[in-house]
Amino acid sequence: MSRFVLRRLILALLTLWLLSVLIFAGGHLLPGNVGRAMLGPFADPTAVAVLNHQMGTDRPVLVQYTSWIAGFVTGDLGESYAYRAPVADFLITALLNSAKLAAVAFVLVVPLGILGGVVAALYRGRAADRILSVVGLSATVVPEFVSGIVLILIFGVWLRWFPISATWKEDAGPLDQLYHLILPAIPLVLILFGYIARMARAGMIEALDADYTRTAVLKGLSYPQVIWRHVLRNALLPTISVIATQTVYLIGGLVVIEILFHYQGIGSLIYTAAKKKDFPMLQAGVMSIGALFALTTFLADLIYSRLNPRIRYGGRE
Amino acid sequence: MTINYKLLDILRRGRSAHENHLIDGLVRGAVSRREFLRYGSVLGLSAPLLGGITGALGYGISTARVAAGTPGGTIRFGQIVPAAAVNPVTIADGGGITVLSQVCETLVFSAPDLTAQPLLAESWSTNADGTVWTFKLRKNVKFHNGKVMTADDVVATFDRLSDPANGSNALSVFKGLLSKGGTRKVDDTTVEFHLDAANGNFPYAVSTDNYNAVILPADFPEDFEAAMVGTGPFTLEKYTPKVGASFLRNADYWGAAPLPDRIEAVFYDDYQPQILALQGGEIDVIQQVPVLQATGLLSDPSLGIISIPSSSHSQVHMRTDMDPWKDKRVRQAVALTLDRPKLVDGLMRGKAKIGNDSPFMAAYPSTDPSVPQRQQDLAQAKALMEAAGFGAGFQTTLTTEKYLEIPDYAVLIQNAVKEIGIDLQLNIMDQGAYYGDMVPGKSQWLDSSMGITDYGHRGVPNVVLQAPLMSTGTWNSAHFNNPDYDALVVSFVASLDLEAQRVTAGKIQTLLLDETPLIQAYFYDFLTVTKAETSGVVTTAMGHLMLGQASL
Repeated sequence: MSRFVLRRLILALLTLWLLSVLIFAGGHLLPGNVGRAMLGPFADPTAVAVLNHQMGTDRPVLVQYTSWIAGFVTGDLGESYAYRAPVADFLITALLNSAKLAAVAFVLVVPLGILGGVVAALYRGRAADRILSVVGLSATVVPEFVSGIVLILIFGVWLRWFPISATWKEDAGPLDQLYHLILPAIPLVLILFGYIARMARAGMIEALDADYTRTAVLKGLSYPQVIWRHVLRNALLPTISVIATQTVYLIGGLVVIEILFHYQGIGSLIYTAAKKKDFPMLQAGVMSIGALFALTTFLADLIYSRLNPRIRYGGRE
Repeated sequence: MTINYKLLDILRRGRSAHENHLIDGLVRGAVSRREFLRYGSVLGLSAPLLGGITGALGYGISTARVAAGTPGGTIRFGQIVPAAAVNPVTIADGGGITVLSQVCETLVFSAPDLTAQPLLAESWSTNADGTVWTFKLRKNVKFHNGKVMTADDVVATFDRLSDPANGSNALSVFKGLLSKGGTRKVDDTTVEFHLDAANGNFPYAVSTDNYNAVILPADFPEDFEAAMVGTGPFTLEKYTPKVGASFLRNADYWGAAPLPDRIEAVFYDDYQPQILALQGGEIDVIQQVPVLQATGLLSDPSLGIISIPSSSHSQVHMRTDMDPWKDKRVRQAVALTLDRPKLVDGLMRGKAKIGNDSPFMAAYPSTDPSVPQRQQDLAQAKALMEAAGFGAGFQTTLTTEKYLEIPDYAVLIQNAVKEIGIDLQLNIMDQGAYYGDMVPGKSQWLDSSMGITDYGHRGVPNVVLQAPLMSTGTWNSAHFNNPDYDALVVSFVASLDLEAQRVTAGKIQTLLLDETPLIQAYFYDFLTVTKAETSGVVTTAMGHLMLGQASL
């Protein structure tokens, strides 16, 4: 078990390091320079040169990279070029915000998705299955900026049940924060519901058709017991990996939702940092999402191996 | 119109030659009342004097009365998030300017009608050749830290901005105009600007047009964002980068007491969420909305639209040193295919003014209105193509940026030039990729044979006459090289006299129409959206939002 963990850990670190090299190189291959991005197209070249010198962005790329990584491994994320303030402050706020939104969406969509999939599988080919499949699929293909605007117009502008902006006042309590997050979470639920439900349904059907299920039924277990003990446990394995990969999307990939609902999350932080050539911010943002990805896949592997002993005992991954 | 010569003579006393020449122009009818007011204000004639002179000439005196708003309350406004730290020296984006305009002020206010109005300067005047400008400062102006503003602060401000070592964004205005050391204190409330070259429009270089030129205490702190000490009608309460800011009424303000108790800025990444927030009542004002995004709001009775003309435009360049654009007849032909009134009505929803292929938009007083407007003429365009040897047409590429209406404009140009056999391939890219490194050889903007570039508002055309068109210009994407043009611009910039400026402008306009290195088909308006019941909001096309006299 510990060897398994160690191997995963080393792999994750290697991936993160490669990611940092890629982002750094990619960012520097793009045309334009940092000073110019700050001052705009019409600024005087002298001013641009002075600014680049102040920020150290006129040094060779390799020197910039080594000084950045040296800081990074000691926990110093550096200062944002654009905002001239420590990156860590922005990053922590954004990650926290993103995590809150992801949590709300998660709590709503995971039980709903699994329940939907299980129900669809149990009533395979009947009305309930058809309705769930069609609704799930339709909801998945509606882009979040469409569902988001519709939701804001109906519940924010017309009915005024929910706030239009997801950013709460500074002194807002947990319930108030939750109230602000419900509207932006719904488009995410719509997108993910169909996906999770389909995975759960497929897994369920496979498990329901499996020999061990027939055996369980034939040996006289009650129906709920068969479903609970034998079917679900096997059926949800693939669903767990799907949910794990979606966590990263839910936290880091919500640029559109964050901009539309006026929410300071990590997605829009990375997006604007990339646009502004704010490399310290961009690096930190991407690395944190990379780390999150490594962590969630690792956790998913762990859960998977708990549920499926074949992996734990030296089987192939 | 009866002229009261006796009164006029009294008012003329002590006026300089330039000022009297301007008054002569008004008497003769060569200068309209509006132009007189605008240019008189540049020369430093006081508002009462300007009113007195127009009154003596029998013009009705318009005393624009602003409905007095109700004091108190909080006004919340939406704006695009400042792209960088709010630092007056380096600030370059509209979002940052909006924040800065709550707390800081310039010497001169470049008003929406393009007049130069006193702000922290009470009055100004120039010497005979326009190389030295003297500004009288307003007394009893206090910074937010309680210190009184003096000439020392003004000198320090301009030395800071004109020093190349500071990376100041104002260098693009001051280079060749004002050097470090050129700003000199005469006494506590008088400052002289000794210019590097004569300039008849210098007050605009120290106005809101040059947004970096806000007057700051001489001991300007490195971390401006922490307290934002300026002279403005509001003082900083709290600033949270990327999120928003709040400001409180400045009880010590030198001008009319600010009405709102408090104002709140909410930062957004895009326009759509601001529009939804305004419709849902979460904010009261949107600082700016581009025409394309505002379409749905223009007819909404619950909203008020403040529309001011600006010289912002999307500039089409054709490289005069590169085939197929070497022959000016081909460039003229392209310009003749455009249906400008249709562009204004269709593309810009009527919120723009027609352009005549030069930086001289109609609203500039220096523009010569007698130069004929270029109109769509496909027959002539085809004849020009034929004469240039391109009767069968050709294929070429239009390179441009994804910004505001530009991609749509590019498609309209593509369709228009099809009529004369030009097959235009569009290459529309991200803004960063288009501007590239901003130097020839490393920038699509400066290297492409044909392109469209966004140009922001300027209260006077000086910069857009120089940088994109002079042979030495750093933004010369058309690679235009015409000694006659260069000489005309130098003389335009140096002339102190509106009539002389207009004569030169007429020559420049005619030359540019003939050469057509650039197409300026329209100049778009600057739109601010408020709740219908909001009053007293003042804006500039640079991005300033002045809420001192605003009320809900």
